[in-house]
Amino acid sequence: MTTVASTRPFALRRRLRLGRDQVIGTLTVLLGLFMMWAFAIGSSSRSKSQLTFDPVNTSGTLPWHVANLTLPTRLTCLVVALAAMGIGAEILIRRPKRAIMVRFGGAAGLFFIAILLWAARTHGPSQVDFVNLTSVLVGGIAPAVVLTYGSLSGVLCERSGVVNIAIEGQFLGGAFLGSLIDSMTHNFYLATLGGVAIGGLLGLVLAFFALRYQSDQIIVGVVLASLVISLGSYLNLQILTPYPQYNAGSPAPNLTIPLLAKIPVLGPVLFNENGFFYLVVALVLIISFGLFRTRWGLRVRAVGEHPRAAASVGINVIRTRYFNVIIGGMVAGVGGVALFAWQGQFQPGITSGYGYIALAGLIFGRWRPSGVVVASLLFGMSVYLANNLQTYQIPVSTSILLMFPYVVTIFIVSGLIGRVRAPAADGLPYKRD
Amino acid sequence: MPKVPRWLRRAFSSAVLLTFLAIGLGLIVGTFVVIITTTPVLDAWRGLFHSWGGPGHALKTTFDYVGAAYRDMFTGAIIDPNSLWHSISTGQGWTSTLTPLSETLTYATPLTIASIGVGITFQTGLFNIGANGQAIIGGIAGVAVGSSLHLPTVFLVPLTLLAGVLGGVITGALPGLLKSFTGAHEVIVTLMFNYVANLILIFALLSTPLQQPGQGNDISRNLLPGALLSPLFGTSSGLRVNWGVFIAAGVVILAWWFLERSSLGFEFRVSGANPHAARVSGINPRKITILAFLISGGLAGLAGITEVAGTTHFIDGGFLVGSAGIGFTAITVSLLGRNRPVGIMWGALLFAALGVGGRSMQASTGIPLDLATIIQYSIVLFIATPVMVQEIFRIRTRSTTELQLASQGWNT
Repeated sequence: MTTVASTRPFALRRRLRLGRDQVIGTLTVLLGLFMMWAFAIGSSSRSKSQLTFDPVNTSGTLPWHVANLTLPTRLTCLVVALAAMGIGAEILIRRPKRAIMVRFGGAAGLFFIAILLWAARTHGPSQVDFVNLTSVLVGGIAPAVVLTYGSLSGVLCERSGVVNIAIEGQFLGGAFLGSLIDSMTHNFYLATLGGVAIGGLLGLVLAFFALRYQSDQIIVGVVLASLVISLGSYLNLQILTPYPQYNAGSPAPNLTIPLLAKIPVLGPVLFNENGFFYLVVALVLIISFGLFRTRWGLRVRAVGEHPRAAASVGINVIRTRYFNVIIGGMVAGVGGVALFAWQGQFQPGITSGYGYIALAGLIFGRWRPSGVVVASLLFGMSVYLANNLQTYQIPVSTSILLMFPYVVTIFIVSGLIGRVRAPAADGLPYKRD
Repeated sequence: MPKVPRWLRRAFSSAVLLTFLAIGLGLIVGTFVVIITTTPVLDAWRGLFHSWGGPGHALKTTFDYVGAAYRDMFTGAIIDPNSLWHSISTGQGWTSTLTPLSETLTYATPLTIASIGVGITFQTGLFNIGANGQAIIGGIAGVAVGSSLHLPTVFLVPLTLLAGVLGGVITGALPGLLKSFTGAHEVIVTLMFNYVANLILIFALLSTPLQQPGQGNDISRNLLPGALLSPLFGTSSGLRVNWGVFIAAGVVILAWWFLERSSLGFEFRVSGANPHAARVSGINPRKITILAFLISGGLAGLAGITEVAGTTHFIDGGFLVGSAGIGFTAITVSLLGRNRPVGIMWGALLFAALGVGGRSMQASTGIPLDLATIIQYSIVLFIATPVMVQEIFRIRTRSTTELQLASQGWNT
């Protein structure tokens, strides 16, 4: 009797774990089959797609030129679809213990490539018969930068054990104040400082409610985010509508790094970005180093995993959490300014769920800065595709296309069954004895 | 020592008192927002630094503006005493006198239903932020049925409502299934479904037969007259309050019975209060999660179609979007009512009054409607932190009213 009782849960868990491999493997194979049906069989054998590499909107002569690559659409899509199915088959047959989601992400990347090639085929519905790889990458990086700021904020807060669901609100606050300051001073350094201030303030409020009064962090976060969004809409009507000169910002200028920016493809993508891109790269490195290589990081992680144990060796749990949540809020606030700097103008619905997608990116990235970058790139690319596939006049309604990032988020969060583990004390109030 | 009546002691013991204090604090926050964003008030205070003004003038301006805002909110949401006196003395103009009350009830109807749905998931220890999306899908499904089937009212109204419920059930089932079979956290999944539902709405209104014939805009066909929840006092009364009120009342009673008296409801509450104990005592957490989301989604869908059938009679691109998003207000109403059906009903009435009054305030003073939303969220922020309210007012309560944690981090 006792043996039955003790073995049953294990058997059940094992059965479930096998099921997850099979589910993701099957999904990947199905994705490949769909690609084959829609993109390979769905295009005529004479269609061709072009890949171009030169930046589109460069005035004057280019220091370099990369020849265009013309591919037969059907054959290329067939190869890509087979590759995706191969990944799925590999998951099903070999049942790898690790990196299943990386494989699934790879298949999703192949899907992006196939859909672009198919959209740009000749004699398709669109006049556009080429895909400019450079502008796809540049376009995907802009939302990815914003999402990375949000996810990094989540890393800082949640590693110390506080769930920051108010990232959406911190984005909006940063975007609002950033736009206001940029409109008045035309200075992005001051705008960034404004984002730091408002994000830090919202982080302080969240920390205050979560730590001082031990309220439910998810509820306080959701309410705080909604409050800021209402406030943004209120101030938009009260201030920005009557005084449009306060909402006359512009996208942030690009800071070109000499020499490096001339590298084909990589140059425009990585070395001709606005300041927020370079800042987020620096932040990823700093936070990564700080969390895993310094005494501060060790303390933060201890506080997030087992606050009582941390307190017993003399770490001030509350102060550590306050510090991290405020810093995290500042990072998200800068993300809000980056969001404004990407869009160029403030509007009440500017965040459109990016704060929550960043949260999903945090989970997908396993609470690590490096993982967060990968997740943000994936989500950023799907945001870009959703917004830009219309130019290829895909015979799908715009609103269906725009669902793409959200559906991808749902899929990814569902695919992580039992794989990821949040910091053990994440979201739990801490009471001093 | 005089004996204090039991009801009075209970009223001032903990939960109810704290709720009222939180409402008061929320109104104070709203006052500050009005003061720092209304130009004439700011100018009056700036006048203090010049010679011509004076503290009296500044205070008077502040009181005038804030007073006008809240007075308009009250008269616009409940009743205008002048108009009431006029109606009583002359026996005329009852329509305009009763309109505010009727509007508040009309508003509260779907809000109550949706909030009870959210409250049921809260009581189960789950967090359904997706009520808005579920209500949108319910509205779409209801319109699809109610605008196409030519049946007598006796059949069409129930069918339309049922379609709405089914739409919500399907949308609500997905997060529940994903949560219990893949462990996907319901907060993220339901949030994402909200965005998806908004886009489905636009798609349905622009690219399906649901779009009004001959229209290029995002507007749906009208519900057939037989599918409408007709106004309580007849169409000619001009009052919009409709039979949906009884649906909401029925939902309140059923939900109360379900949560407080039925064995399944007991399992729900046990799962929310102590998931470990629930599992040990043989309650299947998977079943409870799925059922809670099914019921919650169904109620949200019912709320959506009640709104359409009772009030708007068609849907457009602004259906439940932005400040009209009852699904988001439902979260706050549910917290305000401490997740109990009767409490939620009072909470919904209050929030409906704030919303309706806010609209009237916007019309007469120009202060945006979002002020009402700001007050609502502030109230809930205070509700979620009872300890802070106790500290502000120096109250010591014997029975600490701890708000149940909605969901504890990502590992649950």
